[in-house]
Amino acid sequence: MESLTKTILPWLLWLWLVGVILGAFLYAPPAVGFRGSSRILFFHVPMAWVSFVAFLAAGVESLRYLYGGRAPRHDRSAAAAVELGLAFGVLATVTGALWAKVMWGAYWNWDPRQTSILVALLFYAAYLALRAALEDRETRARLSAAYAVLGLVVAPFLYFVMPRMAEFTLHPEPVINRTGKVDMDGKMVLVLMSSLAGFTALYFWLHNLQCRIAELAERRASLEGDRP
Amino acid sequence: MWPAASTWAAEATAVFVKEWRCELRTRYALSTLALFAFTTLVVVSVSLGPLGVARSQGSAVLPVLLWVILLFSVAAGLPRTFVQEEESQTATALRLSATPSALFCGKLAYGLTVIAALEALITPVYLAMMSLPVRSPGLLAVALAAAGYGLAAGSTLVAAIIAQARSKGTLFAVLAFPVLLPLLLLAVEITRDAVGGDPAGVALTQLILYDACVTTAGLMLFPAVWNP
Repeated sequence: MESLTKTILPWLLWLWLVGVILGAFLYAPPAVGFRGSSRILFFHVPMAWVSFVAFLAAGVESLRYLYGGRAPRHDRSAAAAVELGLAFGVLATVTGALWAKVMWGAYWNWDPRQTSILVALLFYAAYLALRAALEDRETRARLSAAYAVLGLVVAPFLYFVMPRMAEFTLHPEPVINRTGKVDMDGKMVLVLMSSLAGFTALYFWLHNLQCRIAELAERRASLEGDRP
Repeated sequence: MWPAASTWAAEATAVFVKEWRCELRTRYALSTLALFAFTTLVVVSVSLGPLGVARSQGSAVLPVLLWVILLFSVAAGLPRTFVQEEESQTATALRLSATPSALFCGKLAYGLTVIAALEALITPVYLAMMSLPVRSPGLLAVALAAAGYGLAAGSTLVAAIIAQARSKGTLFAVLAFPVLLPLLLLAVEITRDAVGGDPAGVALTQLILYDACVTTAGLMLFPAVWNP
């Protein structure tokens, strides 16, 4: 039963994502005033969302590692979350920059959200650089967990400070705007929500795979270390 | 379990005194920091040329350059406080003789005094060389004190993290800059207010909050970073 679930669920996920791609191009209408370029929304927003979820998960797993008995699985989970968060964060930045070029005429505008995600990417790239600079497994897990928790403490300041740095923003309003309403066509909302669900599931699937690969790599390294 | 307050204070003071005693023997950190800061200051002023920055842009640009000089100078000299302990193999003795929180506070106090000395040395020279009038010197002093404290707190924790890694020199900048970026932005904002004679806005409250958060995170995380 378990192996059946493991076989079927990834296929269902891929089918779902194919449905999202078709829905984004064939079902949802373009947003008023944004022409066809608005379709990037169905991929850019979920990528940024997954990146945020991954970085938050990395912070929580790091806390669990430091204060929850130092189980190696929490360290592997945090590292896998950061790797995926970085990958999705880079994709969100690139798709955002491409859209900015089409709509605003420049790839980079120092928009508060562009700047925030750039700093987040720098922070988590530094996290991976720290891991690469530490050889001992326990030291690597302990110090990188402490650094990830420090990131969790500092990150909120960026969200308060950044908007003040820019005098204006051209970035579209969030899906749920400041008045608490969804100011978007119903078909677009349906495709966007389906995409968010699909990308979130994709993140958890990839995260699970990454953790299993990391565990196998650690087992192999310890077996090779035991050899005379 | 926290030790009695008198023991804890004695340990923290002993660490602080020990740091200064070691420093006065070699004068490494002070001379490196002062020379680095002064060289960067000269490079900045020479690069701007004899005309400097236009008066209308000076109040916006020059505070940024002041804080960049201070940030890079701190990155050049402060990590040594922990790196030296690992290199001279005195870290174990230090672990035995002081509780982590007392050690963190002792090192933080040392870093704070070094940064205060650096700011006292560089800021007047910078203001004089750049012909930058400051309408609210009191606010500038508050900005230097609050941001200097934040720099010391953030740098102390990151220095403890990188001391156990390879390629320590470059790693400090990579790890510390994303953590210190909100502080840099807030310090620049308050310095601009001081130069323009405007009252301190919400940035000062946020900077004090940042200092409190980084200190709390430092006290919370330092035992995990320091003790294997």
